[in-house]
Amino acid sequence: MSLKYVTPAERFKRYLPKDYVELVDFGPFGKTQEEAGPGNMGQFKELMEEHPMCSGCWMAYYIRLIFASLPCPEETVTLGTAGCGRLAISQAAVPFIYGNYGDQNAMASGLTRAFRLRFPDKQKDVITIAGDGGTMDIGFSMTMHSWIRGERFTTIMLDNEVYGNTGGQSSGMSPKGAVLKMAPMGKDFEKMPATELAKAAGCVYIVRMSPTNIKQAAKVIRRAIFVAREVGPTFIHAYTSCNIEYSIPTEDVFADAIELGRGRFKFDEYMTDEAKIVIERVEGEEKAARKARKASKAEAVN
Amino acid sequence: MYYVAKVNSDMCAEYKCNTCTLYCPEANTLMFNKDGNTSWVDEDRCKGCALCVYVCTDMLDRNCITMEMAGHEA
Repeated sequence: MSLKYVTPAERFKRYLPKDYVELVDFGPFGKTQEEAGPGNMGQFKELMEEHPMCSGCWMAYYIRLIFASLPCPEETVTLGTAGCGRLAISQAAVPFIYGNYGDQNAMASGLTRAFRLRFPDKQKDVITIAGDGGTMDIGFSMTMHSWIRGERFTTIMLDNEVYGNTGGQSSGMSPKGAVLKMAPMGKDFEKMPATELAKAAGCVYIVRMSPTNIKQAAKVIRRAIFVAREVGPTFIHAYTSCNIEYSIPTEDVFADAIELGRGRFKFDEYMTDEAKIVIERVEGEEKAARKARKASKAEAVN
Repeated sequence: MYYVAKVNSDMCAEYKCNTCTLYCPEANTLMFNKDGNTSWVDEDRCKGCALCVYVCTDMLDRNCITMEMAGHEA
């Protein structure tokens, strides 16, 4: 898609569904982050729609944050696989591709290459958003190989440390000793070192985090997308608790995320020198643009 | 019969704050009214997780949001 395709002709608007017209008029398409970004969620029509995820799901919250932080939503394509996350991702006003279990990174490899051939003058963002099972267990080989080949797209792992969608089987990312419905004696093995594996496979920007600080989480998502445009594969390992399988009361979900953000999901950012150059350049440009907008606004007032 | 969040708009309007709207897992549910400077809840969409109550009460100590029976006018 592009902004041109998203926007309908003015006289056509009264025949279109109201939700869609609202999305075009009050949504984040073609707007800056100050106008419609994570800092003012709740004041514009969001890309994500009503979804069937559980009450108080932290994964749903993080997906909402991802869609609010996209630098260019009209030029973005998301890919996903079976799991809880796709229930919300597929409800967003961003094209979503759903493949067989675990092949999201393989599909994204082909898609980014095809986009570069088909739209050489445009920057298309490809983002794979999958759970810990899709990324690190069943889709492990395809994830690793896409990183080793240096494919230029963003991989976001929504780590809820369990197969939440199928009844609570332990996953490779469950911590050692976790007592789950399908691991009643406690899990025997250690949690997989996802960020270390990504580093070894050649990801150029890697972050492990628990998304509680909204500014920081948005910055990380944007950085990962900007770096993936130019340098190479990027990876975000985010903690998105499963309050059902880990029996966290919904009102304590946030407190749990803060606690794990101090524990095994302590914020950890790794970037190569090339990635750093891109980040500094892009964020400098953004800052300058923000300043210019502020100055022109002040001038208009005077 | 289930609980949904309800914002006390008079109390909420006293603060310059939209923190709860940033931490709701549902999109387009807990909204912010810029003119009234207050948050409001779309009751049909609220799933009653009480995350906003945690943000308003435990984190900020402002106590503007309560959980009330859906469709029940107090």
